[in-house]
Amino acid sequence: MKNLFLHILGVLVLCCTSGYAQNTEETYKKRVLETSEVEFLTSYYTQDGNNAAVSGGIGSEELTDATGTFVISIPLSDDEVLTIDAGISAYTSASSSNVDPFDSNNAADPFQASSGASGNDVWSNVTLAYSNSSDDRNNIWGAKLAVAVEYDYFSIGLGGSYTALFNEKNTELGITTNIYLDKWNAIYPSELRPFAAGGNGINDAFFLVNTITGNTNYNPQFSEFGKETRNSYAVGLSFSQILTKKLQGALLFDAVLQDGLLSTPFQRVYFGDVADSFIENFQLADDVERLPDSRFKLAFGGRLNYYLNETFVLRSYYRYYSDDWGISSHTANFEVPVKISNSFTVYPSYRYYSQTSADYFSPFESNLSTNLFYTSDFDLSKYTANQYGIGITYTDIFTKRHIWKFGLKSIDLKFNQYDRNTGLSASIVSGAVTFVMD
Amino acid sequence: MIKKGILAVIILTSFSSCVVIKEYDKVFINDPDMVLADRKCDRNLTTFHSYREAASGANGGKTGGGCGCN
Repeated sequence: MKNLFLHILGVLVLCCTSGYAQNTEETYKKRVLETSEVEFLTSYYTQDGNNAAVSGGIGSEELTDATGTFVISIPLSDDEVLTIDAGISAYTSASSSNVDPFDSNNAADPFQASSGASGNDVWSNVTLAYSNSSDDRNNIWGAKLAVAVEYDYFSIGLGGSYTALFNEKNTELGITTNIYLDKWNAIYPSELRPFAAGGNGINDAFFLVNTITGNTNYNPQFSEFGKETRNSYAVGLSFSQILTKKLQGALLFDAVLQDGLLSTPFQRVYFGDVADSFIENFQLADDVERLPDSRFKLAFGGRLNYYLNETFVLRSYYRYYSDDWGISSHTANFEVPVKISNSFTVYPSYRYYSQTSADYFSPFESNLSTNLFYTSDFDLSKYTANQYGIGITYTDIFTKRHIWKFGLKSIDLKFNQYDRNTGLSASIVSGAVTFVMD
Repeated sequence: MIKKGILAVIILTSFSSCVVIKEYDKVFINDPDMVLADRKCDRNLTTFHSYREAASGANGGKTGGGCGCN
């Protein structure tokens, strides 16, 4: 009897002890982010082609763009993280310079860059994002505020997100919403500006300085856009699932409604049924592109990643896209990271992209003046593109190397070559460096 | 297309009902190359795609707005 009593007492003590241990586990929370992290992202992009939208589907598409972005993640508490994302993107563009092609000492020509101020610009962006995770880390709320500025464009964005994890964190469901309220400061091709409301038309001093050849009775059907705002409303859903110990996948869905000024005000259009006028080697615009003031986009995507062995991982992605401008598209991406050592991974990649043409697209001199909507922007044409990439990642999980109070966590470098069957060719070198604060 | 999407969700959900991988068994899943997202390094590349291509979205990048892109 005494033994039985001692046995029961022992079991009770063990239960109490284990209960205490469980309580202790419940109160302990691993911080969502242990310490502040700083990432620096950079890229250098170049492209060239002969279908510039600014000059109505012909002309140089030569463009270079350099970006630099800092992303600083700060743990506000065990559960909360604040992310500050600030970056700039500076570009020079031959086609943009030809918004006003007549300001150079050289003869105006769509295949030559002008010396105009529109030939370069800086896009600046700051985004603040906040996230809060539940104690069990199965529910994550987020909110963000974004501001972006260009010379002729201003944008303010608001967003929210919610992610729920189930099934011992094997399943993840997420929803995001974003609203962007944008405002153009419309810049029009220089030869069209005299034909805006209140302008002098063909009697403007511009046409006294520059002599028209070809059809000298130049009279474009141009009017300024009445509305310069562009609003975008986006909802995104995501579902990811661990399928086996080495395989996981995700399904992604985005729906976007845009309204307002969706045309780019400085992109020229030349009509096939209107006589051509020139100044020097540059054909004068018949109008700027006119696109509907609303657009509804749907995108479905899927990812599937497989850990083949200690050396190889297979990463794949596919997306189907459709919108009510008549464009549908397929995107497929494959990447095979190869772990060449504990610290270094090389990852070759290939991406295929195809799209159908927008209903309103026609190339140079093929649109008709009787149409309601028209564009010669080859980004909205039918084409396919192939992209080949190679990247290398250095990772040091122990952050042994230091710069001041920051330990180096990873370096990522990548080169991509992008070729479109319309003749556009682009390359981009991008890099990312991540530091963690000591 | 929507039917195919629903079918894919059902297939993935079916898998989820068959297997639950414990935290201690997620060593391969937690490999940095297994992340179900684009690499951070690719962020500007994704932005460039949103300028040069009509399609956007379903990749964690821009979906429209915030720039004078498509």
